[in-house]
Amino acid sequence: MAPEADTLEPPLVDRRGFLQHAGTGLLGVALTHLAAASETRQPGGTHFPPKAKRVLQIFCPGAASHIDLWDHKPALEKYHGQPLPGEENFLSFQGKNGNLMKSPWAFVPQGRSGKRISSLLPELGKLVDEIAFVHSLTSRSNTHGPGCIFMNTGFVREGFPSAGAWVSHALGSMNDDLPSYIAIPDIRGEPPNGKANWSNGFLPAQHQAVVISAQQPIRNLARPASVSASEDQATRELLTRLDRRHAAQHAGDSELSARIAAYQLAARMQLAAPEASDLSSEPTAVQRRYGMDDPNPLKAGYARNCLLARRFLERGVRYVSLYCASRASGVDGLLNWDAHKTLKADYERHCPIFDGPTAALLADMQQRGLLSDTLVLWTTEFGRMPTHQAGTGGRDHNPDAFTCWMAGAGIKGGTSYGATDEFGRRAVEKVATVYDFYATVLHLLGLDHERLTFYHNGSNRRLTDVHGHVLHEILA
Amino acid sequence: MTKSIPSYGRARLLPSRWGSRIQLLDWLGRSLALPKSMIRTRLALGLLASAAWMMPAAADAADAVDFQRHVAPLLSARCVSCHSAGQPKGGLDLSSRAGALRGGENGASIVPGRPAESWLLDMIVSGDKGRPEMPAKGEPLSAAEVKLVREWIAAGASWPEKLVLHEPAKAGADWWSLVPLAKAEPPAPGSLPAAWKQSPIDRFVGVKLIERHLSPNPEADRRTLIRRVTYDLLGLPPTPKETAGFVHDSRPDAYERLVDRLLASPHYGEQWGRHWLDVIRFGESRGFERNQIVTNAWPFRDYVIRSFNDDKPFDQLVVEHLAGDVIGKDRPEVEVGTTFLVCGAYDDVGNKDPVAAAQIRANTLDDMIRATAEAFLGLTVGCARCHDHKFDPIRQDDYYSLYATFAGVTHGERTVATAAARQARQQRLAPLEREQQRLTDEKSRLEEELFARGTAREAEISQRWKRPTPMYSLIEESFAPAKARYVRLVVEATSRMGHKPASKSYDIDEFEVFNAAEPPQNVALASVGAKAAGAHRVAEDFAEAYGPQFTIDGKYASPWNASGPELKITLAREEVVRRVVFSSNRNADFMRAFPAEYRVEVSRDGHAWTKVADSHDRQPVSQDDRRRRLIEAVMTAAERQRLAEIGRELKTVEAAIAKVPALPTWWVGNFTKGAGPFRVFLGGDPQRPGGEVQPASLSTLSGSGPTFRLPADAPEGQRRLALARWLVDPRLPLAARVMANRLWQFHFGTGLVDTPSDFGYLGSRPTHPELLDWLARRLIEHGWRLKPLSREIVLSQAYRQAGTHRAQAARVDAGSRYLWRFPPRRLSAEELRDTVLAVSGKLDPRMGGPGFLLYRYLQDNVATYVPLDAPGPETYRRAVYHHFARASRVDLLSEFDCPDAAQATPSRVATTSPLQALTLLNHRFTLDMSRFFAERLRREAGPDKPREQVRRALELTGARPLEADDEQASLAFVEQYGLPAFCRALLNSNQLLYLD
Repeated sequence: MAPEADTLEPPLVDRRGFLQHAGTGLLGVALTHLAAASETRQPGGTHFPPKAKRVLQIFCPGAASHIDLWDHKPALEKYHGQPLPGEENFLSFQGKNGNLMKSPWAFVPQGRSGKRISSLLPELGKLVDEIAFVHSLTSRSNTHGPGCIFMNTGFVREGFPSAGAWVSHALGSMNDDLPSYIAIPDIRGEPPNGKANWSNGFLPAQHQAVVISAQQPIRNLARPASVSASEDQATRELLTRLDRRHAAQHAGDSELSARIAAYQLAARMQLAAPEASDLSSEPTAVQRRYGMDDPNPLKAGYARNCLLARRFLERGVRYVSLYCASRASGVDGLLNWDAHKTLKADYERHCPIFDGPTAALLADMQQRGLLSDTLVLWTTEFGRMPTHQAGTGGRDHNPDAFTCWMAGAGIKGGTSYGATDEFGRRAVEKVATVYDFYATVLHLLGLDHERLTFYHNGSNRRLTDVHGHVLHEILA
Repeated sequence: MTKSIPSYGRARLLPSRWGSRIQLLDWLGRSLALPKSMIRTRLALGLLASAAWMMPAAADAADAVDFQRHVAPLLSARCVSCHSAGQPKGGLDLSSRAGALRGGENGASIVPGRPAESWLLDMIVSGDKGRPEMPAKGEPLSAAEVKLVREWIAAGASWPEKLVLHEPAKAGADWWSLVPLAKAEPPAPGSLPAAWKQSPIDRFVGVKLIERHLSPNPEADRRTLIRRVTYDLLGLPPTPKETAGFVHDSRPDAYERLVDRLLASPHYGEQWGRHWLDVIRFGESRGFERNQIVTNAWPFRDYVIRSFNDDKPFDQLVVEHLAGDVIGKDRPEVEVGTTFLVCGAYDDVGNKDPVAAAQIRANTLDDMIRATAEAFLGLTVGCARCHDHKFDPIRQDDYYSLYATFAGVTHGERTVATAAARQARQQRLAPLEREQQRLTDEKSRLEEELFARGTAREAEISQRWKRPTPMYSLIEESFAPAKARYVRLVVEATSRMGHKPASKSYDIDEFEVFNAAEPPQNVALASVGAKAAGAHRVAEDFAEAYGPQFTIDGKYASPWNASGPELKITLAREEVVRRVVFSSNRNADFMRAFPAEYRVEVSRDGHAWTKVADSHDRQPVSQDDRRRRLIEAVMTAAERQRLAEIGRELKTVEAAIAKVPALPTWWVGNFTKGAGPFRVFLGGDPQRPGGEVQPASLSTLSGSGPTFRLPADAPEGQRRLALARWLVDPRLPLAARVMANRLWQFHFGTGLVDTPSDFGYLGSRPTHPELLDWLARRLIEHGWRLKPLSREIVLSQAYRQAGTHRAQAARVDAGSRYLWRFPPRRLSAEELRDTVLAVSGKLDPRMGGPGFLLYRYLQDNVATYVPLDAPGPETYRRAVYHHFARASRVDLLSEFDCPDAAQATPSRVATTSPLQALTLLNHRFTLDMSRFFAERLRREAGPDKPREQVRRALELTGARPLEADDEQASLAFVEQYGLPAFCRALLNSNQLLYLD
């Protein structure tokens, strides 16, 4: 006898029908999912009062080295040039490793907390008292593509929704005319695994990130040059007229009116998005503070994207993924933080691009009060080895230890959570996972990560898979 | 706070750090992943242990009975979920005798004969605070149950050594989808409308409607019906002529004739093949970080289309998918089936870390296991990778039996040709290859001879080699002052010092040119007006990435990544220069490829060049360089001429070889021995091998039919063949049930089971179980052919009824799952694009062959897919022929929910979003098609007849004629903005996009 005879009756409204009507468009709001019987949220609501309303996630792809940026390891200086005890013949992603290698840069105490971070990041150093570092993160992959996907979706396989898509699905948008989730790729290109990083996975398509950046407007947003404004307007009016008639002939099919509404939303977005992306409307002093006038075009490009991120957050975009650097290239570490062979040259190229604009963005958000209800995440896919790669001045991939951080709404600034061993080889204290990281993010958004679920191909899927604990110690 | 130990597959890092029992409770409490409501613990005494895994231990038979009858069920149902070998929470494994005696991080959980020292008892007995700490979920054990455990421990805690406990799944072997197909007869028609009494399908559906006090709609009008069934079977709109023909066809079997015509159309395979490609996650790029495009998987897409058109029996299709190479060796049309195994995403980045590499291989096989089990069985076997399936009766052993079955499969391409084709090609090649060999031999002989001669004179020749070898970190050349506006480096050979073969490309991070001033100044700097030129590797998405500008940027950082032999520096003005300094990596922390043989030349006008320095008086960098120099030094003019001749002849014969057409190489996978023994990976971790497994059928289904079990060293192909034949054995219910449901789904929009690849506990139950079984039987009766069953379905009244909405019926059944109406739907992404092309008169009906691209494919180490702004006529084919790459966003298709094959998509959703509106209104495709559509209207309705044009437009889109006032408004619009603008509106309209 099969258990639960009561579920033999199919629901009156089927799951698919639900999805079709769930949040037509920008206001994409997850309706309580039938399979997720424990969901107690109201549509668009939270499980409990939130601390943060929106999220800015800054992603430095290529595995930005924890021990050269955030995680100070004096023992590396002391034992520089000596073998890593117990792992003398260790093979990592690219193969053989040499001896321990100290960071080429000093770590200097910053802020009231005296937190030591790399002298390569002088501007962010001024903000350490706003930041909660998680030094004990671990990844499930030592490869960039799956690592990035894991950091963004909680799975190393493609096809799962990114954190931004989950939040869009759970909370919807806070405005009527902009997307709920945007991704801002770097001027140097897309991150490893490209669009899978901001995919909706199996969530409805409206939860995928809309891609926009200072170098790349929203695709297909603009009215075609060959169509005049009045013709465009008249076309929409005729279309609405025909669609209304069609809907009247098919009374009761609400999807038809949802589509009429979607065209109206699209028209509003055509006005709102260019306004939001118009950086020239910002005072020159602000543009300069971000570094938009920098002679280095890569820094100026990232600076523009930082300012763009703030303007979209301000206008009610729920989740912004901002990338600093891009994919793997023909020369390791050239286009992103993947310093396999020439760490010194690579990070002296990347850090000045990243430091000033990011710090300006945080300071600006703080000044405008945005930080009080915006959660800021800084993430990368994994860490790097404390040794140098054999025959090089760079470091290989290290999935056993890396640092990410949070700042802003609900975060206890000036804290450091967890720790790596004396060399930064492995997380050893309060070992944390990407699941814990996102359990905490969802918690701050008022969502219980175990109750935010979506049925797909045999499982009630979660952003945190079947893991995750909220990192209470970093909460204010 | 105590934290869970992440089990990421690497060595476990944490020592035990137990504080108190409170922490233990806290920790375990949080470790159970599932919502409470999903956990319906079933104390199914006796159900869990089938005799197969019991090993009676004669010595303590008396005690063992107690354990197996009373204690084992308790442990299985209440403990093993969290404390198994694969997932030992708190380090404790209560699934086996050894684990229980070993205990967890708190020490021994069971001390035989000593209940007082047994930690397990402390945990399940309520303490001062009332509730016992374990089990963390569900009700505490009853006093009687605790007593059983205590007495069992006191009596010596006997436990047969080989008895491993499993958590009982929520669904047992009696789960609805696992039991044999019922012999359901169509119910008596009773009070059904007359038209509904004929077809067994209608009787099944009709009786359910009556039960729910629902009634069906009348039959749809003919215009609606032909539009519906044409889209359903072909994915295309009917032409106005076809519509008119059907509307006016007074023959009694007009509809049957229509259906038969459609089922015979070659477009049927394009539509239904596309459905199938969704189910089996067919994609044409490798996925993951590199995501390289796969340009030779299209033969499989064509094979699927052909198979559907030919109505190939489904059981045969399955066997070809899993073992086409075995049953069809040298028959490309059968061998191509195994693309199924390798058309999923996989990680090919190449990982030197052996632990990671093993995990990646396991992930690759996992994709095959899931794809197979979900597509053909509708079972989420993948959930049993780390532990027994929590919901369905699938053991971890079952998963690894499939792992053993697929262990020899690797992704990749292989030559696929008939024996005759192979032989014919070899015959053409043989004489050419002989000639090639003859020339190569002569060349090596001559070179060896020269080398020997040179070696004999090495002492003399090498006297010139006075200076040290060039270094990758610094090369300096001083020379007599020379006037120069231009300076160039010509690279004759490159090296990586000791690396063979030398890299073809090389790097220069800085090239400095010093003038004769005092102190000398570097005049080759962009900042003083110099310019650098040189061929370089190109990254299309970031043009500057490898450019020669890096050689004059004043920084020893990013290098010029050269793809040609020359770097040319143009100085701001003529200078007197006397020294150049360059390097591949001045920081000297990593050896990049560098110029090993080179010359430096200067010029005043950019035409006449004067050599000022070269590497020829330096020590050679490598043995290759040494050999080349020695040969060069002793070669006579005649020898030089002969070598050049040989070179030319070799080129000729190589060109002739290249002209012999290659045999087709297709993405069908490669098969290696994949030899055992095979083991379970505890917790899914290849570093934690568990018990041995063999290629075998799933134990789940062993109760209801045939089984197979092969030795671990059975030939690889035989394992796959055995699995395939077992999957489609008609004595097993799942394959037929799952496929029949898919057919229903693609006709009605939703299956009788609306989780088409999950017939397990978390999936849905069928709305019409008897109908589903009837359809499954019928499928087998039709010899697994799909078309006859589809024909029966679309001929039913359930299918032919109108889609009219009725509020009262909708209150009972909003999703129309009981079919009181035909459920209307939105066109799929492909249908939409194909329709826009078809009504504009631009659809290119060519079938098959390599796909067209709606993106630009860029590759620079990794792949990037950039959507096309202005797709040309080569893209005007049916969307099924689009090159289906992963992680690519394709205008129109992606917005309208076309998946990217990252995972299987057994059913698509149909979303509504403003991005759809933006794309469909503003993309160049719409504008182009609006223009073509308008041209067609002028052509077909007459150039100066706006009313006829508008009417023709409506006919072509399959819409009803406009009401008079709408037509008036349309005519006014056409008058003011032109016909293309009207077409643009129409291509965006709901009447085009929705089907009822």
